[in-house]
Amino acid sequence: MAEVAPQNQNVDMDLEWMDKTGSWDTNAEPGRNGLTLADIQIGDYGEIPDYSRNLSGRPRGSAPRPDSMRLGNYTVREKSEIWMDNASFLYEEALQRQWSSATDVPWETIEPLPDDVEQAQCQMATFLTEVEFVAGDVPSRWVAKTSPDFFEARQVLLAQVNDESRHMDVFRKRALANGGGLMRSTGSTAGFVGGIDLSRDFTEMSSRLHISGEGAVLTIFRMGELMAYNDAEKTIYRLCAQDEARHVAFGVMHMRYMSEHAPERRDEIHSYLDEAEGGLLTSAANPAGTLNQTSESLAILLGGGIKKFDEGWRKLVAIRRRQLMEYKKRVISAGFGERFENGRSRLTEIMEQAAA
Amino acid sequence: MSRAKLSFPSVEWFNAVRKEFNTDEEFHRRGAGHCNCVAGVKVGDDVFVLTFEGQECTSVEQSGELALADADFYMSMDAVDWQEMLANISKHGHAVGDYTLNTLDLNRFDGLATSVHGDQFREDMFFRFNQTLQFFFDASSRIDTRFG
Amino acid sequence: MVVLDSPRLWNRLQRKLAKKVKKKTEESTSTHVKQLKNFEAKKEEIEIPEPRLNWMGITREWGVKVLPGEKGLTLGSLNVGVYGEIPTTWSDRGRNPRGAIASGARLPLAISVQDKADLWANSAATLYEEAIQRRWIPATDIPWDQLAPLPDDIEHAICQVCTELMQYANTDIEVITNWQHKMAYGYHEVKQYLATASFDGARRYEAFRKRALSNGGGLGLESTCQVNRVLLESTGGWTETVATWVFNRLLFALTICRYLERFAYNEAEIKLYQYVGQDLARILSYGIDHLHYAMNADPEKRASVGISITIGDAFLVRDLRDPVLKEALSIIFGAGINGVNKDGLDTFYEMLDTYVKEYLELCAWLKLDRKLEQMPTIFQADKRKR
Repeated sequence: MAEVAPQNQNVDMDLEWMDKTGSWDTNAEPGRNGLTLADIQIGDYGEIPDYSRNLSGRPRGSAPRPDSMRLGNYTVREKSEIWMDNASFLYEEALQRQWSSATDVPWETIEPLPDDVEQAQCQMATFLTEVEFVAGDVPSRWVAKTSPDFFEARQVLLAQVNDESRHMDVFRKRALANGGGLMRSTGSTAGFVGGIDLSRDFTEMSSRLHISGEGAVLTIFRMGELMAYNDAEKTIYRLCAQDEARHVAFGVMHMRYMSEHAPERRDEIHSYLDEAEGGLLTSAANPAGTLNQTSESLAILLGGGIKKFDEGWRKLVAIRRRQLMEYKKRVISAGFGERFENGRSRLTEIMEQAAA
Repeated sequence: MSRAKLSFPSVEWFNAVRKEFNTDEEFHRRGAGHCNCVAGVKVGDDVFVLTFEGQECTSVEQSGELALADADFYMSMDAVDWQEMLANISKHGHAVGDYTLNTLDLNRFDGLATSVHGDQFREDMFFRFNQTLQFFFDASSRIDTRFG
Repeated sequence: MVVLDSPRLWNRLQRKLAKKVKKKTEESTSTHVKQLKNFEAKKEEIEIPEPRLNWMGITREWGVKVLPGEKGLTLGSLNVGVYGEIPTTWSDRGRNPRGAIASGARLPLAISVQDKADLWANSAATLYEEAIQRRWIPATDIPWDQLAPLPDDIEHAICQVCTELMQYANTDIEVITNWQHKMAYGYHEVKQYLATASFDGARRYEAFRKRALSNGGGLGLESTCQVNRVLLESTGGWTETVATWVFNRLLFALTICRYLERFAYNEAEIKLYQYVGQDLARILSYGIDHLHYAMNADPEKRASVGISITIGDAFLVRDLRDPVLKEALSIIFGAGINGVNKDGLDTFYEMLDTYVKEYLELCAWLKLDRKLEQMPTIFQADKRKR
């Protein structure tokens, strides 16, 4: 680096590092949405390796040190295992659309509700607090296992962990803000083979967490807005639904990428979807499923009290159907629609059960 | 409140709402930051296409049904249902009860939001940007609206 | 992409699309009508179960009504009655929210941090709300348009420092995400705060990358790995990990950011270092508060915390033996290579002294027996070799 050589040599400087850089002369410029992650995916810096050999945790595109130690405990090192095309957009969207459960929810609009309705609301809040614990811890664990060469996807997962933390908090707040309290947790959100926690593969986890699990919860959040009794609840559910839709988008786009770039894994993915579909109604992670404490709470909330349980139940059935239809369309969008044509999917049968 | 009554649905009406929405910082906080999508609005047979980029709704165009093919999703109701929703917004300053976009969607058997392409990923943008869309229509409470 | 250069082809496509839309609209209408009919027809067919309602009335405490205060409805304000009882050990390895009634039959999760002394900080709930209130967005909250071309040596130095700070952020993220799922749910305030802290880490990672790639430079040489290694290989105890993290990384990184802000070359960098500094100060607060709590609740921890810091010091010294960060910072502080001898290196050592001063003050506050003369010589102004 002749042009930057030191003129005053009082201090012995090495400066060799100045010649050890990633691509130089990089000039990313902000656009309409500011300086986004997409804006800095330029030149070499936008090239994501199909397989990551980065075990020291160095930033993608930086110059490696030959003597670096292998610190990263990364098991996700293949791009297709975690990648999706819209990661940078989803991450920026998450940053832009953050909210505060303390100050953005009009808590003052909550007014005393009939006891049966308050109990149902608190039971749902207890359940959702429990479920959101899953959706926070599991993606977090996968972040540490993923090579930072795929940092855009990791950023989206970290945003999700943050979102889920807020969901845990907002439902706890709802349970304790209107003369009620927490009720009984289901205890069935963890520990089962085929569950979200125990997945040994990221795509397996994502198909369960993002597609079937959060897809179902998204419908519930939207339904929550419908069954809200005040502006505070409407706001809570609407804002949670936005977040959840982003998480679902992650899953859909990842599966789409996987389908296109690792076709040899398609059958395996179908196996995960088989299991996920099996649990769509029976899984305790779906509040509109068959577990009685959540489905009864929903029916009470949707009907407007125990006396209108039947009416509420009918709405619940309609909503279950909608959940299943949306699940189906997401799977199609993810590129696995053939399962609904070739008889592999049990969705039609499950839809019949939904009405039962 | 704009002085001259603007007719709904019309490009002028949407532009007036757009101006209110784009210029009030309150509509870009509380979970409603940047939004990037193309949303169709179908009022009976009239079709409008709204483009959201970053903090703003950058354009409104009146189009034929053909344009809905390019929209990520579109919201469709009869004129009378839109009128009811806007009347509710006008009365309360924002949508309440059964008149929020999401509730309208759930209460209608075919939903409020749908798409030509049937891609749920793009249709999900209706949920992902729901607070922004809600604030956009809530901004119409500041417009003196004439129907028909 | 299909290029439609033929008007006939274009028209045909238009007609086809119009047909599709019309069909979709008709389908939609007929589906609507069909669904209505189906729903009406099925209304009677739907079997309505007799509600069991066996979940009703099952609560440890009812009638709780927490009202929002000046800061809204905060997480900490929910700690009333049984909901505010935070036990010294949380033996439940499930996801039962604190204060709820646990379901009887459930399988345990791989949770290993179950003692309050091992993770708690009294400020966790406050820090959680603070993190949410003080969120910022690198894309739009940094005035990137204020960046202007800098002399090549300075741009190189800034890009090098950004690269190293990115790797610090990467380690912060991995430290938290390696531990978070092992922590018991009864201490949700800590888990929730750490969720915001890992997101803050993601933001730091992103912001420094953006700076490096937006002013004619690029990324530099990867960071030395010694403190990163200690942090990632510390898997035995969260408190011990936090000790090294606080003393040998977070405080050091915060000091660097404070000096970078002082010597920033434009408004964009000032904002960047200010925002990052705030985030680092918050995680540092959690760490200090946790160490304070942990050593008071379990005095035996004082020894393992002390050892962790001693080990951390040794590895920080290894990092500092590498000339890259020192040279890069000295160039920034000295306004170029030619200023290294004039001011740059002095400022670098002033920064190091500031770090050591705060380090020792912190030790004193935490009642950790640590003296300057016990520390490696690089931290002692009168003994170090420049």
